Amino acid sequence: MTELLQQTLDGLSAGLIYGILALALSVVFQGTGMLNFAQGEMATLSAFVTLVFLQFGMPFWAVLPIVIVLSALGGALIERTVVRPLERSGELPLLTLGVALLLGINAMMAIIWGTNSRPFPSPFGQGVVTSLGLRMTYQQLGSLITLLAVLTVTILVFNRTSIGLRLRAVAQNPDSATLLGQHRGKWLMIGWGIAAAVGAFAALVAAPVLTLSPGMMTFPLLLALAAATLGGLTSRVGAVVGGLIVGVSNSLAGRYIPGLDGDLAIVVPFVITAIVVVIKPAGIFGKARTVRV
Amino acid sequence: MSLDEMAPPETEAPAVLRVDELAVEFRGVKALQGVSFTIPRGGISSVIGPNGAGKTTLFNCISGVAKHQGTVELDGRDLSRLRADRRATLGIARTFQTPLLIAELSPMENVLLGAHAGIRGGVVGLIVRRPAVRADERAARARAAELMEVLGLDPDDTRRAGSLPHGDRRRVEIARALISDPKLLLLDEPAAGLGADETDQLLLDIQQHAQATGMTCILVEHDVGLVMRVSRHVVVLDAGRLLVAGDPREVAADPRVIAAYLGDDWSEDRQ
Repeated sequence: MTELLQQTLDGLSAGLIYGILALALSVVFQGTGMLNFAQGEMATLSAFVTLVFLQFGMPFWAVLPIVIVLSALGGALIERTVVRPLERSGELPLLTLGVALLLGINAMMAIIWGTNSRPFPSPFGQGVVTSLGLRMTYQQLGSLITLLAVLTVTILVFNRTSIGLRLRAVAQNPDSATLLGQHRGKWLMIGWGIAAAVGAFAALVAAPVLTLSPGMMTFPLLLALAAATLGGLTSRVGAVVGGLIVGVSNSLAGRYIPGLDGDLAIVVPFVITAIVVVIKPAGIFGKARTVRV
Repeated sequence: MSLDEMAPPETEAPAVLRVDELAVEFRGVKALQGVSFTIPRGGISSVIGPNGAGKTTLFNCISGVAKHQGTVELDGRDLSRLRADRRATLGIARTFQTPLLIAELSPMENVLLGAHAGIRGGVVGLIVRRPAVRADERAARARAAELMEVLGLDPDDTRRAGSLPHGDRRRVEIARALISDPKLLLLDEPAAGLGADETDQLLLDIQQHAQATGMTCILVEHDVGLVMRVSRHVVVLDAGRLLVAGDPREVAADPRVIAAYLGDDWSEDRQ
């Protein structure tokens, strides 16, 4: 029983990373209708920038706000410069753009920092907490708390503030929002900024465990895509719940399904996603898109 | 007070809206051509015309949704080159034949969106929620609740706007337009889907609001009797051209209007 709980807990910690990335994907998708394949590489870039600041001897907690703001500005800049010209040109160009950004940012990081994995210090220190027979490293516990806080703040911003109301309005009905004086482009840019900032947190808590390399977030992004599809790309809550389901099912499958130990366990979350999508194409919390003709 | 008593006589008030040589073409079809008129400040004015006359296209031009040639001036300011969202912040609000609400949001959230042009502070101010922003948000919420109650809506309704009955959706859309304190409110067939009493009440509310705030309302409406009762100024379009514009009596007596639009039935009604 304790082991089952321990596996679930491990799965939840990993799942939160996927969930947070999926949340970033969902914010961008709702606004622009684009699956941002580069979300993971953008987050990795944030982690590299953090490392540069740390190498100058700055303490992690002083670097964090700087990097989050820089990430948001970077996300907004990408929307403004390369996404906006293609915004109304349909899904295929946007999809291609996502892949181009993924490869481009990845290559840029490889040129600057090389492809070797680098150690990334844990901001939470070394150590283990044991309670009720369950154990968590400081890193796991700190990540869990950080990501829950990010999640709560993001959801509060979207659901309780006027900024969130405008973001939702522009995402759901751009024509109507425009006639209410909302500049669509401005709010999409802000959405990209928020997504990049949220994604940066995912990379920062993942880096100490995965070690930092340009391809660090490629695998988590795949799982985040599954998570967002599973939970519903149009639903922020769905993205996070999807992430948790993916994380937990991956962790439990690796332990309990014979023959699926190690990396093979990843099959299970994708099978679950496939089944859900067959039954409910928009995902668990997703709403089918209505098209006006 | 009835609607009839509220229709003020035509006066020489300065124009709030001036439209000059407006022209719109969709794939070779001239939806509007050479349309020029002015709308006096205050009260309700109307645009009438048969189906396909270009009434909604005219609204699309004024609100900036449709690309057009010619000029649109609000209070002497040329809006022709401005995007729809800029025109909205300068004081043009509109509603649609089929209410264009944001279906996923609650009625209150929809109405609040209308107010957001008036909340101070840039993006950073909104994120850190400065006290001024919070005070503005509180004030907007109170104002939204007040407007919704005036229009007979429940401010605490938690349903999605998309699931409301038609009449309520129309009222939400109007509350959302009014909360921005527009200089000019464009109402596209507000009576469609409403009963006669509901329509009268709605227009009475709007007229009172216009009187209290100095707002001008332009109505696109099929019900000519209603238009003649509530309007101080009437613009008649036919096949994309301006037929005649003037006070309701002049317009109703104009033989071209009778021939093109009102028809013999209507002139008989009046006798």
